[in-house]
Amino acid sequence: MTTLSLPTAVRTGAGIGLHTRLAANETSKGLLLAWRRRSMVVVGLLMNAALYLGVNFFIGGGHIVEELMVLTLPALMAVAVAATAAVDGSGGIAEEVNGGTLEQMQMSPASPQSQVLGRIVALAVPGLVMAAVLGVVFTVGFGLDYQPHPSVVVPALLTLVNALGYGLLIIALTVRVVSIGAITHVFNMAIMFFGGMIVPIAMFPDALEAVVRFIPTALGVQVLNTTLAGEPLSTAWSDGTLLWLLVHTVVLTTSGLVLYVVNIRRARRAGGLSPR
Amino acid sequence: MSGLGKVYGRGETAFAAVKPTTLSVPWGQVIGLLGPNGAGKTTIIKMISGLITPSTGRITLGGHDVARDRSNAVRQIGAVLEGSRNVYWPLSAWENLMYFGRLKGLRGSEIKPRAKRLLTELGLWERRHETVGSFSRGMQQKVAVSAALITDPPIILLDEPTLGLDVEAARTFKDWLAHLASDEGKTILLTTHQLEVAQELSDRIAVIKDGVIIADLPTDELLSRHAENRFEVRVAGQFDGLIHALPEGANAEPDGDETRVRLRDADNDALYAFLAQLRAAGVSLVSVAQAQPSLEEVFIRLIHADDGATRPAEGKEPRT
Repeated sequence: MTTLSLPTAVRTGAGIGLHTRLAANETSKGLLLAWRRRSMVVVGLLMNAALYLGVNFFIGGGHIVEELMVLTLPALMAVAVAATAAVDGSGGIAEEVNGGTLEQMQMSPASPQSQVLGRIVALAVPGLVMAAVLGVVFTVGFGLDYQPHPSVVVPALLTLVNALGYGLLIIALTVRVVSIGAITHVFNMAIMFFGGMIVPIAMFPDALEAVVRFIPTALGVQVLNTTLAGEPLSTAWSDGTLLWLLVHTVVLTTSGLVLYVVNIRRARRAGGLSPR
Repeated sequence: MSGLGKVYGRGETAFAAVKPTTLSVPWGQVIGLLGPNGAGKTTIIKMISGLITPSTGRITLGGHDVARDRSNAVRQIGAVLEGSRNVYWPLSAWENLMYFGRLKGLRGSEIKPRAKRLLTELGLWERRHETVGSFSRGMQQKVAVSAALITDPPIILLDEPTLGLDVEAARTFKDWLAHLASDEGKTILLTTHQLEVAQELSDRIAVIKDGVIIADLPTDELLSRHAENRFEVRVAGQFDGLIHALPEGANAEPDGDETRVRLRDADNDALYAFLAQLRAAGVSLVSVAQAQPSLEEVFIRLIHADDGATRPAEGKEPRT
């Protein structure tokens, strides 16, 4: 093959700067797509609100029990972020596989991990919008008594990353598992119930409380409840919940990232990036 | 591509989609990769694109190995793949081009002038802010091509680019490809079932069957090789009085002030005998040429020549 000088537009090179721009490109695309489907955020918001009110009304025996709501509202907010990241992330990847754009995405100097990280950042936005609206409306609407202080930011951020780590894991599975939709809904229901949105985790039997340590967002909600009750962060650290949350978040996020890269490579070997 | 092959599955279920194949495409050449469904065309294109990992062999794009230097190799290509949208329908044409430009590492300031030029040349500039989903199939395909070209890649891979397009859109597309090849010097690898498109655009044709390239020749040479025993004789004036002189299998049709006679399955003796009859009748001879078959005829002949068995490629050394 003869050689030819390349057009100036086709440049070589790599580096953190390039990969940051490539990840930002994915975030930008994800936000544009989310904006086109903003009505789905409104529908999700209304459904979550209605479900939460219905559950509280049912558990309260026909009344809303504010003391219960104080403990379960952080879980609702965490579920909003986690479920949105999982459902929209999984649906987005499936749509990209079937539309052929996942293949186009791979013809890029971007690594799969920088692309999926950019994608997950975009997925956080609609979930956070939903969580913020739900949090403000229910707190103000029902006059819920929280004692926020700066250290609440730590468990809030960790819970956010934990929820997105779960979304990452579901996205990674979507590349490999065709019938991921049903699995995602089962997982989301598990997070909803065991994550403390319906019944506060503190009310679970001891054996069940040990099991929920493995459920995404559950540990974050526990630490949030501790700190929002006015306790210092050291309380959550001394009972081991904060440490568990840290470990859980790191493991979940790393697993999602690694599994995504592995599944993309596997799909390349098996021709699985093509429309199914 | 050197020794490139792809086997799906393992053990008894293993299936060789592409058997070890070597193909080199010089810069600026348009190569048509033809073959029946399932022959391995798309697998080859996707291996070149880095979308399917080859089981054997290696691919180099402009000196960059797809497996070892993927980051730089994929920047050499733009691809429109078969059976997929290729672009984001909920986004506008402009948003798509900005995204795909940045996807290859370019900055917005580098992408905008090129996006404007591409959309203007393809007649989409006025509708650049409309979502691609609202476009006709032809316009969607134009956006897909624009997205593939947004970084001005030297290599363009087109897998069935005219599939699903109406006649007019396909014609526009073909003209655009001819422009890319002749005016912009792009290296194009094209697969299509529309053989007249391949014949018109390709400098070279490779025919693949059951994962093996069975012919790989410059287009003219491929057609010439299959032109034996076919002649086209042009004579002045009308031919009505000499219809009885036509050999079996020949046909005559007027072409302006002349008559074109096509002799099929005629050897030199038959040709000379026919020309002698024309001379005796005082018909004025305009030209005699060996007639070339269409690419479609050659393709059918090649595909059915060795049904059940593959044979060494025409034009090159055996490669399996």
